[in-house]
Order: sequence, then structure tokens, then C-alpha cells
Amino acid sequence: MTDTATRPPQIGRIMHFALRARQANMFLVLLFSLFIGLVFGGFLIILTTPALMTSWGHFFSHPGGTISSSFNTIWFAYEQLFQGALVNFHSLRLLIDNPSKINLANVLAPLSGTLTYATPLIVAGLGLAIGFRSSLFNIGGQGQVIVGGVLALLVSISFNLPPFFQVTLEIIAAVIGGALVAGLAGVLKAYTGAHEVIVTMMSNYTMVLILGYLLITSVFARPGVHDGASKAIEVSGQLPYFLSHLNSALLLNFGFPIAFVTVLAVQWFFNRSKTGFQLLMVGQNPDAARVAGIFSRRSIIICMALSGALLGLAGMLKITGVDHLATPNFGGSYGFDAITVALLGRNKPWGVFFGAIFFGVMYTGGAAMQAFTPTNIQFSLSQVIQAVVVFCVATPALVIEAFRLRDGASLISTNGSGGWV
Amino acid sequence: MKLELRGITKRFGSMTANSNVNLVVKPGEIHCLLGENGAGKSTLMNILYGMLTPDEGQILVNDEIVTIRDPKDAVAHGIGMVHQHFMLIPVFDVADNVILGSEPVKPWPVIDYKTAIAELLVLAEKYGFEIDPRATVENLPIGTQQRVEILKALSHDASVLILDEPTAVLTPQETDAFMVILRSLKESGKSIIFITHKLREVLEIADVITVMRLGEIVGVTTPSETDERGLATMMVGREVNLVVDKNPATPGDVVLDVKDLFVEDERGLTSVKGISFEVRAGEILAVAGVQGNGQTELVEALTGMRRPSGGEVILNNVNLHGESVRKFLDAGIGHVPEDRQRFGLVLSLSISDNLVLDQLDDPKFHNRFGRNLKAIKLNGEQLRKEFDIRSQSAEEPVGALSGGNQQKVVMARELSRELKILICSQPTRGLDVGSIEFMHRQIVAIRDSGVAVIIVSSELDEVVALGDRIAVLFDGEIQDIVPPSTSREDLGLLMAGAYSREVSA
Repeated sequence: MTDTATRPPQIGRIMHFALRARQANMFLVLLFSLFIGLVFGGFLIILTTPALMTSWGHFFSHPGGTISSSFNTIWFAYEQLFQGALVNFHSLRLLIDNPSKINLANVLAPLSGTLTYATPLIVAGLGLAIGFRSSLFNIGGQGQVIVGGVLALLVSISFNLPPFFQVTLEIIAAVIGGALVAGLAGVLKAYTGAHEVIVTMMSNYTMVLILGYLLITSVFARPGVHDGASKAIEVSGQLPYFLSHLNSALLLNFGFPIAFVTVLAVQWFFNRSKTGFQLLMVGQNPDAARVAGIFSRRSIIICMALSGALLGLAGMLKITGVDHLATPNFGGSYGFDAITVALLGRNKPWGVFFGAIFFGVMYTGGAAMQAFTPTNIQFSLSQVIQAVVVFCVATPALVIEAFRLRDGASLISTNGSGGWV
Repeated sequence: MKLELRGITKRFGSMTANSNVNLVVKPGEIHCLLGENGAGKSTLMNILYGMLTPDEGQILVNDEIVTIRDPKDAVAHGIGMVHQHFMLIPVFDVADNVILGSEPVKPWPVIDYKTAIAELLVLAEKYGFEIDPRATVENLPIGTQQRVEILKALSHDASVLILDEPTAVLTPQETDAFMVILRSLKESGKSIIFITHKLREVLEIADVITVMRLGEIVGVTTPSETDERGLATMMVGREVNLVVDKNPATPGDVVLDVKDLFVEDERGLTSVKGISFEVRAGEILAVAGVQGNGQTELVEALTGMRRPSGGEVILNNVNLHGESVRKFLDAGIGHVPEDRQRFGLVLSLSISDNLVLDQLDDPKFHNRFGRNLKAIKLNGEQLRKEFDIRSQSAEEPVGALSGGNQQKVVMARELSRELKILICSQPTRGLDVGSIEFMHRQIVAIRDSGVAVIIVSSELDEVVALGDRIAVLFDGEIQDIVPPSTSREDLGLLMAGAYSREVSA
């Protein structure tokens, strides 16, 4: 290959442009992934709607009618998904005609639900992305979310401080708890070589079982009730809603700005902080980091602890902002959804942010789709579309090939985490 | 077999790696392909071996056009290749490696080792190789491993052998033995395409020399028509200074004092066995020796990467024994590691970031918002200009640079710190003539500025050219410290383990 400097300058400029087009290509991949997901979902809608299947049976006598009725059904379903998750056109029109508090609340309702669902996922996704970018695979999201949630609950039960201090203390407890659990995996990795995947994965089981036990102890259980749910978080310990003056049904709470600030903080951490840069170095090339005088054991522990801290925070945001009490399956699939979100966002802070919001859209939109379509198209369809999109984003080569995009396969790596997750 | 490449052109995007290349290799000919890194030699050979398809042009075997889609086609047409990095499976034995992919079976699926070994021995005897078919490859010296690679190619009835930088990994003695093998292959009618950038070897063995530059053939010549200087000029496109210009050293105070140093490798075997030496400010101590005689462990101990099991490393009267790498760096030790890609650089990060890799604590790269990206970028641009690092900008990932430019990044970074001593391990391995000249000038310049320098190299030419004193390492011990005027033969003997008194006797 020719040495860079010996290329004529105009070719250099072209190369430069090609390198910059890389970003645009990733955007195209996302766009096409979404398209593939929606088309795939469309076929499923036809297959699962009996009326449409009957109509396809008569395709040759009424081809036009078959196609248009299928298209209308699919379009209507996706319209409900979109309006249920982002903005409802009908209420938007009402708001423009008559700007009132109630109409404004109706316009904001879908987005509020989406962002509320996305909030803990943003923070959890960021926590995992920190690990993945440093080549550490924290699979213990579920357990660390539980720890964060339980400690926040414990603070809420044990103290009765003014709201601001109560919430701050909850955050501190959750962050420290998550950091300790994941940090322990980091210590084990750094000093004994125990693989963090195994350790964190086992810690999930441990935390689920500990949670199950705690919920029947007198500290957490409601006296006399045995439904497995814990005492509730007092109002002083809840994250305040910030649109409730418009309508008490708007559940968006202060967790969202916290998540937003976390995105900025992680962005800063990797771009500007010394520790963040060291983690990147250790993650990308531990040998070179050692030659440069970086103590990689310390980096491993710091990285795992930070990752766990954010997952603990995610648990706190979930329990104080959404659930307000703990149940035996509090951790749910959060730890694993967060892995997918990190993957979807390619471990970039803003990517994770929008990836989590995409999950929120599919969740609230899917529910709306099921509720408002005449044939009650199942909620799980939205999850299928989501899965197809994630699959496509994870394999850009496939999308590039399918749509004959400019040869960018070499520019876009298969994923951002070194081929592991 | 006659092999011909006609009008081969290969483009990667907007870059032309090979442009209208014509090459004829006659039967029984040793054809040297010479060129700097990035001149297009490897691309050309990868096309010939079916790993790349040319955009234009044809390949002719015995004057017939053939299509080579993959290495299997190449092998079927009698073309064999020995890669620079061996494609052997270390835990298999020699016979296993040779038959891998074309195992004789009788009855299926049992491998017929008897036949395989018999054939292997016949082949080895024919070309004068001495080889034990049952030896495990990882236990064999590099030179022998290379023979296994060659045998493997020959076992597929190759009549043209492509050897990609075969001598880069060999000791002087092994290289001599290798030349004998080449000649015997030639006598039996095999054609050889020998890729290298060592001019001395080319002149010694080649029948025809083809020189490539920037993807084009810039000259075809023979050893009798040219000399080292002529070849170097052709390769680089300008006059190259093959001899390192340097004044005699003016050694100052002792900077580094190593006393009775013992170092163990990761298996716990002692690989540095009680070494003592001093290095003074303003002098270059070259450590010569065949690879694997303790150089790696010695350098690791001197840079804090490995804790010695005994002895002392004293820098400016401060004992650094057991300190962290950070302390070693802060004490003023510069380290250009042996494997730059693995130990010297983070390939995915930009040139600028790599230029501050070990200077994260330096306040000049910080402001109150964290890392001072502007200062880091500026530093990158400055060093890029100063060290002539060839790239579009300092924000390009280091992985996109050629080997020579990557090495310049490592060197630039180390020299931009306050140094007391610079330790370079294999500073010019795999670099082309132009980059070697540049590196050598830098090393001499830093010496002249009063810094102590240690060069560890298995390249005899380099050791002799740079060293003010030469320490020869064999089996973890210093055989002798000799002046650079010592003859190559004596150095070779010292490297092979003969004590200096035997040499002088």
C-alpha cells in the first residue's frame, strides 16, 4: 500500500471525505435497520390478522383490495405505535386550536410515558457501556440494579429527612452499593484473574435470592401482608414528578434530568478525564497501557466500580421514580435490556441515550398499538420489531450488503465492544 | 516453471497499490523483489497467491493465462508461499504441520502417518534438510520452523516459491544456512521469489532484482550491475546514507548502573543470569545477540515492567529495584519497546493521543475541565511535523499508519519527555531503508545531546553502525563488551556462545 504522504493531495482529500462519510454510513445503517424491522413487523401483522389472511386467499380475484387493506392495517398499527409513544396528532391539533393546560398535558402524555420507561435504562446502558468500552463485560446489571433499588428502599424506610436530602441519600446509597458489588468482581478479576463475566453473572443469582429473602423480613415486608411486595417508598423519598401540575397522570420525574446529566458526565469522562482515557487504553491495549506506566489492576477495579455505580443508580431511579416498591422480580430483565441498549448505542453515551429511548418508544407504543388497533395487534409485535432492529444494527455488514450501500464494511466494525457482546 | 505477471493493477478505493506491474520469473531463478514498506510487494504477492484479485492484468504460467481465485488455485498451479509470520500450529509436530490440509488417509478417516513421514523424509533428504518429523514445532528454533514451512510448500509440488521476508527472523548463522537451502532449491529447478529489504542478501543470492516503489516497478537489474548504494537509491528514489554519520562518543558520568542482575521469565526460568554493566551519558551501548537470549527480560527489568529476582538497577544513584513502571518513567527512562504495535501504541487511538500515552500526568496536557484536548492536538501536530510522521493529520488513528511511521510516533513520544536514558528494543525492525536512516539519526542526535542510550538489536548491521560499545548477550549472560570495530565474524561467534578468549585465540 502506498505511503500516505506520497499520495497526491486531491486523493488525500477524497480519502478524508471517505473517512468522514463513516458517520453518515452508520446513520444509514440505523435507518435501514429500522426499515427492515418495520417491514418484518408488517409481514407478521398480515400473518396474525385472520381477516387479512382470508383476503390474501382471494388475492387473484381482488389484488388491489388485498394489498390496500393490508397496507392500511399495517399503516394504522404503526401510526398507533408512533402516536402512543411520541405525539398524538389529534391532541396536537386540539392544543393548537385551544392552548390549554389539559391539552398540553395530553400532547405530552405519550412522550412522558416513553421517557419514564427509558430513564433507568439510559443510566443502566451507560453503566454497561463504560465496561464494554474498556473491554470489561459486566453481565451483573440485574444484580446491581437490585442492590441499588434495595438500598434506596432501605434509606427511604429508615430515615425521614426532607425530600431533597432523602433522595440524595438514596442516590448515594444506591451508587455505593452498585459500585461495591461490581467492584468486588473487579477486585477478583484484577488479583485472581477470575473472569468478570462469570462472577457478575453469578452475582445476579445471588442478588435475586437475597432480594427474595429480604422481602419477607420485617424490615421490608408490610406487616400482615404476604404478597411479596415491600413497603412503599414514602413521598419524601420519591423522585418528584415535574409535569404533574399539568396533569397528575404525567409520570415523568426528575430521574430523566439525572439520566441526562449522567450522559453528559460519561461523555466527559471518556473524552476529557484522565481516568476515562486510561480505561480506554487498558481496554484497547493493556500491554501498551502497562508500558505507559498505567496500573491496570487499579483501572480494572475503577472501571467495574463505576459501571456498577451507574447500574445501582439505575435501580434507584427505577424504584424511586417508577415502581415505588420492590417485588421479587424487581430486577426484571433490566440488566440484560441494558446490554442490548449499550449495543444499540454502540457504547457511545448519546447512542445509549437514544437507544434507551427507542426501547421506551417500542414499549409504550407497543401497548398503545395493542389497545387501539381493532384487531388488538399484540404488544409482543413491538418487541419483535425491536429485536430485528437490534439484530440489524449489530450486524452492519448484513445491512450494507442488503442495501448495496457504499463499501463501508471495513469502516464499521461489527460492534463496539471488541466482538464480545 | 515460467511465471509471468502481465500488467497487474490493483486499487484500494482511490489508492493504487499496484500499477501496471510486469514481472517474469524464469525456471530455476532466484528473483529478488525489493522495495520499501508500502511499495506494493506484498499486494503483488497476495495477488499471485490468490488472496487478492487484480483489477487488471493477467497471470501466466508457462505462457498460458491462468485464473487464481484463492490460494488453493495457486497451489494447484505450483505456486507456494512462505509467509513472514509462519502459518504453523505450534503444538503439532512437524509431520502434522506438513500434511495439514492434505492428509493422506488409509483407510478413511485414519491418517496414514507412515506414508506421510516417509514422503517427508524423502523430500527433506532431496533438499538437504535435517529434520525430525516427530519434533513438536514450538520446540524448534525459528530457522527450523521456517524449513518446515518450506517443506510444506514443497510437499504440494510447488515449483515457484514465494518467500516473504524470510530472513527477518533469522540469526546471521541461520541466514547463511538459509542461503545454502535457497541455492539447492534453485539447482533442483525451483524458481524463487524472494522478498526482502536487506540489500546485502539481495546482492549475495539474486539472479535478477526487481525494485518496486509506490506500486510500480522502477527497475530490473542484476547483482553484477549494481551495488548497495545503487539499490537503495532506486528503492527510496533519492540518495540514501547507508552509513550512520556520527562523531566519536564523549561519554560523561555513569547514568545507569546495573549490578549482578537476575531476571526470571514468566515460566520462572532464569533468563538473565547475573549481568553487570554501566552506561554513561552521551554513549550508545548496543546489546547484540540472537533473539531469545534474555534481551526481552533484560529490557523489561530495565524499564520496570518485570521485577528482577536479584541485583540492582541504579539510575543516577537511585536504586529503582521493585519500583512501578510509572516511577521508572518518571526517573527519566525512555522506552521504545520491541513490539511497537503490542506494547508501544493503542492502534485505535489517534496519533495525538498516542503521543501523550505515558504523559497523562503532565500538567501541560490538563486544564480545569480535564484533559486539554487543544494542547494534546497541538503537541500532536508539532511532533508530527518534527518527526515527519506521514499522515493526513494528527487525528488519524495510529493503526492506519505504516510501520515506519508508527515507530516514529513511539520515538517522538519518548523523546518529547525529559530523558536520562533511552532504551530502544529493535528500533528498526521491519522498517524500510528511509525510515531506518531517520531512526538512526534520531538516536545519534539524542546521544549527542547527552542522554545515555541502550540499543537492543538482533540486526548485526545496526549494532555495529550505532553502538559505541557492543555487549553481546548469549544465554542470559554478557559474553563480552567489545568495540564496534570488532569483525562481523567474531561478533557472530560471540552471539553463538563462543567466549571472547576463544575468538581472539
